[in-house]
Amino acid sequence: MFLENRRTFLKGAAFTVAGAAIAKNVMSTDVMAESLNESKFTNTPDSLAFYPPLDQWEDFKELSGDDWKRGGIERKGVQSDENPDGIYVNDFTIVPTACSNCEASCGLTAWIDKKTFTVKKYMGNPLHPGSRGRNCAKGYAAQSQMYDPDRLAFPIMRAPGSKRGEGKWVRVTWDDAMTAIGKKMGDSLRKGDELSKKSVMFHVGRPNENGFTGKVWQTLGQDCFNSHTNICSSGGRTPTIQWANDDRTSPDWANAKLVFLNSSHAADAGHYFQQAAGHIADARKKGAKLVVMDPRLSNSAGIADLWIAPWPGTEATIYLYLVQRMLAEGQVNTAFVKKWFNWEVMMDNSKYLDFMVEKGYIAAKPTGNTFEDYMEMLKELYTPFTLEYAVKESHVPAYKLEQLYDMFLWAGESISSYFWRAAAAGNRGGWVSGRTGYLALGLRGAIGPKGGTFFHHWHVISVAGKGGSATIGQGSRGKDVPKISSWNELSWPPEWPLSTYEMSFLLPHLLTDTEWQQKWIKKGLNVPTKLDVWIPRMYNPVWINPDGFRWLEVLKDESKMGLTFNLSPTWSETNWFVDYVLPVGLAGERHDQHSEATMPARWTSFRQPVMRVALEKAGWKPNNPNRATLEAHIKAGLGEVWEENEFWFDMCVNYIDPKSDIFLDAAKTKTIKSMWESKRTPGKPVTIAEWYDAAFGDNLPNLHKTATEDPKYKDSEFPVYEYMRDHGAWLEENHIYSPQERVIKEDAENYIAHGHKYKKEHVEIDKRTGVMTAKAHGDAWKYPDGRKPIGIETDGVKMEGMATLDKKLDFFSEWFASDEWKWPEYAIPFYPRNEKEKAEMTHIVSHVNHMYMKEENSYALNTVFRLPYNIHTRSANSKHLMEISQNHDPIWISVEDAKRQGFKRGDAIRVEIVDTVSGLSSGYFVAMAVPTEGVLPGTLACSHHGGRWKLVNSVTIPNGVTDGKVDRSGIEKNMNDPKFMAESPKDVGQDGAQIKIENYNGTAGLNSYGVPTAEMQMDGKEGKLTYTQGIVPFKTERFAEQNKDSDNIWWDGLSGSWQNAVAPAHPDPISGMHCWHQKVILTKAEAGDKIGDISVNYENNFNTYKAWRDELTRPLNETNKWRRPQWIKRPWVPLTEKAYAVRIK
Amino acid sequence: MEQTQARSNIYALLSRVLMQELDDEMLEMILKDAAIREFFPSLKDWEILENSDNKTLLEQHINVDFANISLLHLVPYETFYTREDQKIETGGANPVTDIYNEYDYIVDYAKARVVSSDHIGIELEFMHYLIEMELRAAEANDEDAVKHMQFAQKTFLNKHLLKWAPMYLINVKYESRTPIYYDAAEMCLEFILADNEYLSNGKAA
Repeated sequence: MFLENRRTFLKGAAFTVAGAAIAKNVMSTDVMAESLNESKFTNTPDSLAFYPPLDQWEDFKELSGDDWKRGGIERKGVQSDENPDGIYVNDFTIVPTACSNCEASCGLTAWIDKKTFTVKKYMGNPLHPGSRGRNCAKGYAAQSQMYDPDRLAFPIMRAPGSKRGEGKWVRVTWDDAMTAIGKKMGDSLRKGDELSKKSVMFHVGRPNENGFTGKVWQTLGQDCFNSHTNICSSGGRTPTIQWANDDRTSPDWANAKLVFLNSSHAADAGHYFQQAAGHIADARKKGAKLVVMDPRLSNSAGIADLWIAPWPGTEATIYLYLVQRMLAEGQVNTAFVKKWFNWEVMMDNSKYLDFMVEKGYIAAKPTGNTFEDYMEMLKELYTPFTLEYAVKESHVPAYKLEQLYDMFLWAGESISSYFWRAAAAGNRGGWVSGRTGYLALGLRGAIGPKGGTFFHHWHVISVAGKGGSATIGQGSRGKDVPKISSWNELSWPPEWPLSTYEMSFLLPHLLTDTEWQQKWIKKGLNVPTKLDVWIPRMYNPVWINPDGFRWLEVLKDESKMGLTFNLSPTWSETNWFVDYVLPVGLAGERHDQHSEATMPARWTSFRQPVMRVALEKAGWKPNNPNRATLEAHIKAGLGEVWEENEFWFDMCVNYIDPKSDIFLDAAKTKTIKSMWESKRTPGKPVTIAEWYDAAFGDNLPNLHKTATEDPKYKDSEFPVYEYMRDHGAWLEENHIYSPQERVIKEDAENYIAHGHKYKKEHVEIDKRTGVMTAKAHGDAWKYPDGRKPIGIETDGVKMEGMATLDKKLDFFSEWFASDEWKWPEYAIPFYPRNEKEKAEMTHIVSHVNHMYMKEENSYALNTVFRLPYNIHTRSANSKHLMEISQNHDPIWISVEDAKRQGFKRGDAIRVEIVDTVSGLSSGYFVAMAVPTEGVLPGTLACSHHGGRWKLVNSVTIPNGVTDGKVDRSGIEKNMNDPKFMAESPKDVGQDGAQIKIENYNGTAGLNSYGVPTAEMQMDGKEGKLTYTQGIVPFKTERFAEQNKDSDNIWWDGLSGSWQNAVAPAHPDPISGMHCWHQKVILTKAEAGDKIGDISVNYENNFNTYKAWRDELTRPLNETNKWRRPQWIKRPWVPLTEKAYAVRIK
Repeated sequence: MEQTQARSNIYALLSRVLMQELDDEMLEMILKDAAIREFFPSLKDWEILENSDNKTLLEQHINVDFANISLLHLVPYETFYTREDQKIETGGANPVTDIYNEYDYIVDYAKARVVSSDHIGIELEFMHYLIEMELRAAEANDEDAVKHMQFAQKTFLNKHLLKWAPMYLINVKYESRTPIYYDAAEMCLEFILADNEYLSNGKAA
């Protein structure tokens, strides 16, 4: 049939029009198809991996994701000269760096489009051992921050004749600023007396590097390195110091069976959360359980196997309930406890055992001093911490605590936890949660093993300050840099000798408090009454610290702060009130060696200015090798943006001590200049490649071996630097478990512990404790009997042990109990057992404990949680982060409390802060109520990371673009163009070489994406702030391509209240932590109140600070010989015996 | 050669009719070209044709029916018939894409107004191209190329069109409300089957 039909079909040949004219001709063999065939691109890739292999990073082509939306390559082909309508192909060079938007230092890669010399995107770094190629929203935001239209484009100075905070600015050159600042610093340092060593203060918010700036301050001879730590985490560090003389917890999340979070931190927001969350997810995939202890239903709590919502500051009762049951039910890992708890020290301290009897901790002294006697004593000691007591004090239902106990036992020794922020940072005595928490872990043997919890210093790499062999003066690893010989009372006041870090948040109070200054001067201390220079970096204390108006008062007072400048890429509340703002780079615009303890391993990342690295790898040479980053950033169109490494190299050599006549030692052999002069090029500052080749190469043997044996690098001038430049991350050591058990090596004559040799004849081994001590040389003053503990012998095995004096975990902190350090009642993990003890032991009872909630409608306000898409003070320059973070900081209030007070969702409410020590009111802030089941009744939650403000919408910098400014080269930015690669700006930073900023018309906004405008009043006693205008859509010429959607802003930027200004300073009497939580009283908003308004009585706040200081601390007195326990390190800079020694009249 | 030209023309005609709605020019061609009109035998009994102008025919009848058989009620894509989940593969994983690429052909989707390259109109047009290539090879006396193109036609017909188009075309016969698409479906169905026999029996050579 069909064959017959075919004859019919032959008629097809008789069409009057040919088939080709009939068909739509939608298929073609044109260049579009050829472009596709000739390219490597396909719609069906073999792999969905984000990242190309390392050997393609320098030249990697990738289709544009934006342009793809026009129809993809199947429709348009691939763009080429022959097919100009095809999909655009990015011509990338990929440069690794590390994120700087929180502390975790996840790996990043900058994908630099060679054809436009711009960063098209930041992705992760697959070579980074901790982050494994992944990032959170903050990491990817590095790109929008880089091209923020409001970023500072050049150094600025307060206009001559204007006052601080007046908002009048002029553009200056880097050289002018460095000359003025260098002279001021040099003049102060040249005096050489004790006060001069306390006069130039650096104040870092987020260090995000491991020792570089500390080394700078050591070479300046200053005890002036201040940090933000005590508003962050000193309460988390105190228990670790007591237990292990270490800094912080380091859990092995990935291998845990029980992930026990004491906060929303780790999995949700905050320390290392992106890396930690990945590891926690790995663990859960293997069957781990997740428990979150937090009065607020955080994101982590929402997905946890168990959510425990204790009253803030009562977490210790929960840990001690676990302890009580483990002891009572025989569930203790006695082998571990016997081996690693310092039970011998405790049982041999008769005086302390008497004290325990006197306090009623135990009924009678143990009759013997054996381990069994010790265990019996523990059982008695913790008997009062029953389920009933834990329920009563913590408000957690009994069934949840029983579930927790079962999980705790089920997990064996694989329990990972983290004691940080939240409980530790919110509450007076918050450090006790960690102190008791470690006890629960230790009794199960969960300290050190796989899946367990260990300590920070074993899992971190700190070499950023150890490139000394590249300099003339520092010596290998900095061994020739003199230690600091003074002690600065402004950062280490005598009331807080055990503070883990500086009392930085009290700086304005201490500078204001002349009565306090004079009191200690009369007692023989050389207390500074002013600072010659104050230098914040990546820090905005005006906004983030408590009592912000006090900061403003002091910042504006030139008699207290002589010269101030901020090293900052963006505008901030603090910048507005300083003398100079010097723009330094963001995550992809600076060098840092940065490592963190995110896993039981030692890795480091290498943060880099990616534009510079891309240029240099492609053959570009800077005109000035000491300002290469500045030149590269000008070439990239970012403006006169520099980095701190090169800035400080240059400052020390050419501006602070240009004549090399400021000496650091009495013998006058070491000058500041010599410390940073290049060994290769004397007279010039050390270069980046020289410094980091030495810093990495001299300190990381595995890295050194790998780099110098790699054929690609072995013949390079700086093989280790180049290896790190190309990889951006390195894993020096992995799988570090129970390192305290590492066996001490020995040869015929020596023991070798921690890399040091000790002659056997000089080593003694204590028969009772097994502690091995060696006669100390040079640092004998650090040890009570002049002998340095180097290890411990147990069951015939000599091991390195813990970092404590007795080389064990200090259940009993003997020094803490001593007359010298004065806190015997808290020398063991403890919490008051009844209301009477709570009233007596106020030092460790939270200032927001329920016993203080006496007034109707009084609550405990939980302020200490992060919003995962915000970065303290550093988010407002990212349009992406601002868009997703709007209106996310209300007051969480339980449904029942809201109903009782008549609050509905969205209502404005007044939140009055009342102090429970002074009894004074601090004022109030107005916030938005959000009733929820996700918060414990009686408590509230409102993150203190809200409420940014600015006083003006934009700022005009006179002469920003015209007079005397140099045009850029006019060469199109294109790395494929040899002309562009050969060119570099000349004389950067000098007069006559200031460049015209591209597309900048002389006026810029201030954080236009995220910070609303406010009106402020302050009179020395009371302060007010009210928002006058939210943010609005805008058009920008600067970085127009990256900001073409700025007219689509739909949010108003009003995201919470500046509650930190209302908060008084609450210094914990022991840890020195600012205790963030607040007792508050809620009322309905009054007529005229707007959400975001604040009203502060900062005179009351000053008296509250005094009340906490005078009623709670136990200051140094005439019995003290030392400023703090000598064996406990001071962070940042090493100090001499002279500095530690004290005599109080 | 005549047969080959006829086949090319018929594939072109069918691809045009089944790919997009008709326009005035195409309708005129069908009505006026005697050879073409013979492929639409039912038109002669279609009263509406006699009483309507082209605009009315297109807007109220023919194109409405096209929407009916290609958008609303039937799905003219190969993967709809060949995938278990009856989803249309719109990306590069569509099985026809590789063959198109092999001959350096690429579909201009905007012009075709289809969502995927396995639309019946596209596949028919591809057959038209393969036959055009055979014609050019024959003109150049390149017998190897002629054989290769015939093999390609047979392969494509068997691997693609014949696997699913009959099901679609039978459905069109049932669903169509105008003689245009009824006849086009009937013709297309018969033609591709006949063409397969033609290619299989070695008659082509």
